Amino acid sequence: MARKVKGRATRRSFLMTTGAASAVAVAGCLGGEGPDDDEFVITLSQFPDTVDPIDHITGDYFDVFDHVYEPLFDVQPGEEPETRVVEDWEHGDGAVELRLRDDVQFHDGQDLTAEDVAFTLERQIDPEVGPASSQVAGLGSIEGAEAVDDSTVRFEYSGAPALAEYEFGNYARAMSREWTDDQESAESGEIVGNSADVFNGTGPYEVVDFTPDTEIVLEPFDDYWGDEPPFDRLVFNADEESSGRVAALETGESDLTINVLPEDVQTVQDTEDAEVRTVTSFRNIFCPMKNEAEPFDSREFRQAMNYAVDNAGIIDDVLSGFGEPMSQPVPPGVNGYNPDLDPYPYDPDEAASLVEESGYGGAEIELVAPQGRYLNDADVAQTVADQIDQLENVSCDVDVVDFGVVSDANSAGMDDYEIPFFMIGWGVITGDTDYGVSGFFQEGGGVQTFRDEELDQAIEESKGIDDPEEREQQLQAVNELAREKAPWIFLHLQESIYGVRQDVQWEPREDETIWAWEMSQ
Amino acid sequence: MALGKFLVKRLLQGVFVVWGVVTVMFTLRAVSPGDPANLIVGEAADPHLREQVREQYGLNEPIYVQYADYLQGIVVGDFGYSFQSGRQVEAMVIERVPATLELAIAATIIAILIAVPLGVISASRRNEPADYGATMFSLLGISTPNFWLGLMLILLLAVQLGLFPTGRRPVGLAEALTALATTGYATGLVVWLKHIILPAITLGTYFTALITRLTRSGMLDELGKPYVDATEAKGLPAALIRYKHVLRNTMIPIVTVLGLQLGTLIGGAVITETVFSWPGLGDRLIQALNARDWPLMQGIIVFIGISFVLINIVVDALYASLDPRVIDE
Amino acid sequence: MIPERLRSNLKREFDRSLLAKLGLVLLVGVLLMAVFAPIIATHDPTRTGYVDENGNEYPPRGAEYTTQIGEDGEFVEVEVEPNEEHLLGTNNIGQDVFSRFVYGARTSLLVGLLGTGLAVLMGVPFGLIAGYYGGRVDDVMMRIADVMLAFPSLVLALALIGVFGTSGIGVPDPIVMAGLADGMPESTAIPGTVTIVVALVTWVWFARVARGEAMSVRTEEYVKAARSIGASDWTILRRHVLPNSLTPVIVLATIQVAAVVLLESSLSFLGFSGTTLSWGYEIQRGQDYLRTRWWIATIPGIGIVLSVIAVNLLGDWLRDALDPNIEGERG
Repeated sequence: MARKVKGRATRRSFLMTTGAASAVAVAGCLGGEGPDDDEFVITLSQFPDTVDPIDHITGDYFDVFDHVYEPLFDVQPGEEPETRVVEDWEHGDGAVELRLRDDVQFHDGQDLTAEDVAFTLERQIDPEVGPASSQVAGLGSIEGAEAVDDSTVRFEYSGAPALAEYEFGNYARAMSREWTDDQESAESGEIVGNSADVFNGTGPYEVVDFTPDTEIVLEPFDDYWGDEPPFDRLVFNADEESSGRVAALETGESDLTINVLPEDVQTVQDTEDAEVRTVTSFRNIFCPMKNEAEPFDSREFRQAMNYAVDNAGIIDDVLSGFGEPMSQPVPPGVNGYNPDLDPYPYDPDEAASLVEESGYGGAEIELVAPQGRYLNDADVAQTVADQIDQLENVSCDVDVVDFGVVSDANSAGMDDYEIPFFMIGWGVITGDTDYGVSGFFQEGGGVQTFRDEELDQAIEESKGIDDPEEREQQLQAVNELAREKAPWIFLHLQESIYGVRQDVQWEPREDETIWAWEMSQ
Repeated sequence: MALGKFLVKRLLQGVFVVWGVVTVMFTLRAVSPGDPANLIVGEAADPHLREQVREQYGLNEPIYVQYADYLQGIVVGDFGYSFQSGRQVEAMVIERVPATLELAIAATIIAILIAVPLGVISASRRNEPADYGATMFSLLGISTPNFWLGLMLILLLAVQLGLFPTGRRPVGLAEALTALATTGYATGLVVWLKHIILPAITLGTYFTALITRLTRSGMLDELGKPYVDATEAKGLPAALIRYKHVLRNTMIPIVTVLGLQLGTLIGGAVITETVFSWPGLGDRLIQALNARDWPLMQGIIVFIGISFVLINIVVDALYASLDPRVIDE
Repeated sequence: MIPERLRSNLKREFDRSLLAKLGLVLLVGVLLMAVFAPIIATHDPTRTGYVDENGNEYPPRGAEYTTQIGEDGEFVEVEVEPNEEHLLGTNNIGQDVFSRFVYGARTSLLVGLLGTGLAVLMGVPFGLIAGYYGGRVDDVMMRIADVMLAFPSLVLALALIGVFGTSGIGVPDPIVMAGLADGMPESTAIPGTVTIVVALVTWVWFARVARGEAMSVRTEEYVKAARSIGASDWTILRRHVLPNSLTPVIVLATIQVAAVVLLESSLSFLGFSGTTLSWGYEIQRGQDYLRTRWWIATIPGIGIVLSVIAVNLLGDWLRDALDPNIEGERG
């Protein structure tokens, strides 16, 4: 079972890797055998509306596709990457070389080659390599990929080496080049279809039945290189309503369901053989204040907004306790998180006097917030706006809109001030502070909502640091600076609530990934 | 004018209306803000990729070429590709039709089963308690928003009393029937039935109320006509007259009104499906709307428009064969 | 202005019909509630956090227990202090349900009346022109109307909102401005887009009715006479055709207010309203809390039903008294 892990070997990484490896070993032994592990049904909130595994970054989609198109690494935020298809890797100058296992097969019987991995990545970077993928924006610092030989892929990488595995782990998968070329629809230039034949990965499960919009049925892939996964049949379906997902659990139609609303927790608890499991997610909810629009150009004013909002109260009342207050742009567990920082306390008096100090007493502002995107989002926004409104020298309205409007405001950058103050969420899926701050606080960051030279510089500096510990310190400084400058109202981290059959051994992951091979019954 | 000629004329009008619907939807899409390429690949996407996507979806063509392409596609049943999923819109529409159809038919059946007897009783016991009861019921029925009614039914019958399941239905009618035919077990059918009852009542209530009203007033009109007295004088049993002749004459205007109210039925289905997570066209329309998936939205709405026109032509034809005077109007 | 015969018909029907009286009482009640919302409401409807010391929302007065999530995520029944403050309890973010109920009437009626008014302004001239000129003009205009009728109104409304988005227009509240209601919001958001959208999807019914009337008047002797003495089309339309079509338009408008109130609540329920102070929005909010806090979704629904019944009863009264022959579609 032992796996060779190469890379930056620190003491911490050694401990983590062995820990993780043995956990997998245990899980592997428990799964794969026993007569009871027949069918397992997972109910998502959104059924994948594409069959292309690298078309969208959407958690629910990855939950399905990872089983078919397995990721190259398993990267858990805050832990060392665990190898999967990649056997080991070496950092070089501006590039990383990954060596692939030589016993990996696609479901259609072809052997996996380095060429396939490079192609899958190129598809997401180079628009000339079809079928088009819409993921081009999200690939961070990966600049290109090429096959060195049959089992070695070289990734051109411009970011800090410490980020590389996170990004590879999130974005790199393997699709067969030859097969993909055959699949590409001549008309739409995408992979489309509605049968089991439109999937071909190297994952532990293969698709045996696919009903678009309804259900996808997987069975273990006989020639999988790794351990035989649990469950003879793995089924994914979806229900948009939390109450519906919970009802499916109640009636036994489902064995695991995601995104249970706090309101439905009781129903799960009342179900005889089901229970609720929670984990604090990496999805961070906050309100950016574009600092080139009045009154948000005043640091005092922005800080006042943070003092005016009763974070802990909102978590208790609006989220029924399922949340964690935030003190900085990134959540605990993320590399660079600064443990010495506390959330802004709720202090309306301090807020009011800071507003006076800012010179914007009597300001009228409006918070624009989405509905149905995050846990009780519109309700959180109404409470935030009302608490600000309760300051005697600020009046705040709320406008609840379609998520698209908020998303547009977010990606409009610093040139657009039509909506300077809004509520949005961001998951630091790479597990590194960089992903949580550079997009928002740096020039050309894509979703820039804050312009500040000092902060920009601090982030830029962190990118050039090779030494992990030194870099971590710099990122902690970035977080401290960000708290101080208050570019956002820091709200909370969402808690992910799952409804699960009691006899399933599985702990929810912070990154909200659901992998059946981590379960056993 | 003969029936055939009348039908041809109605069909031509229908084609015009469908063209109008397509054009309205195309115009709405053309004036809607936002670069479609953003909707497909996201704002931050690489310019080359956006270009490529624009190319693929034909978004670089002049607007009249896009319009001509779209029209041409509709004629041969090609509604284009969804922005979100890249799937063919017509497939995404068709696969959702059965669920909506099941719901609409179930609602109509419930409505007719309840409303016609209720209207008849109401009319024949005019100004008695039963009549007042029926009148109040129909007043409430046409005044209650169906999404609220649906939630109240869930609250009382599913949550409090546990009589019905909540949540998305696990099987469709076709699957349930196939299972019954191949295995002989009706469990699937029972599950399907349990899931459809509340949504069908929710959607059907407005029509129940409406048909009750129409049946009542229609019956009252008919009962006042001389032929009723005449047949009664011939010694035919009163009940027979009531149900055979009077009711038949009453049904004709009801059918017409129902044809006209088809839009209400479809609109009601959209919102009922949302309340009950019913996997029909309305549910998909709301998803498409939230994602600004214009081709899908367009496809669903155009499909609804076509069905609406076709059903109205059928209703007209039925009506014309029952009452030939219509043709000359 | 109103002919004597009509007035006596209206009065006779009103005296005869208990339901008409009920409708009038209900409608006046809802109207008063909407107009004087800041005075009637007991709390600022947007103020959050009205909860007891344990952080529980208040159930309506009279209830003794509420459900709360316990330590381990299980629900426990908790006894609550009898609450004097909040007549109908508070919602999931601790806003006063009664005050939101009162303010909700504003949104519903504003959209209902403004939207219908706008639809009349669009539909009636359209129909009059089509009906009066007849022939090819009529053909073209009625084919346009047919196209509009092929869209279910909710579906077309959703498509239009897909284009225009939702936006609310903040209008200062005169009652609060006059200092008559302290601590109430200074402005009310009118869902602007929704008002226009409901007019855009309902005008065609008015066009149909107006056209029918215009066609029947066109051949009347007095219209021919007016034309023969050289009255312009515009004068004839305004002086003879329009007044004749008013009765059915008024009856239809009454019925359409009910339809528009329902349409607005449906749009709000689906989250496309532009304001959070609306009965439909509140029901949508309560949808997630059916199991634990039934009152959040239940109470605003009663507001919708009562207002729509009121308008429908008045519509029935007008129809019985004036007896035009018209049809409309519900939202």
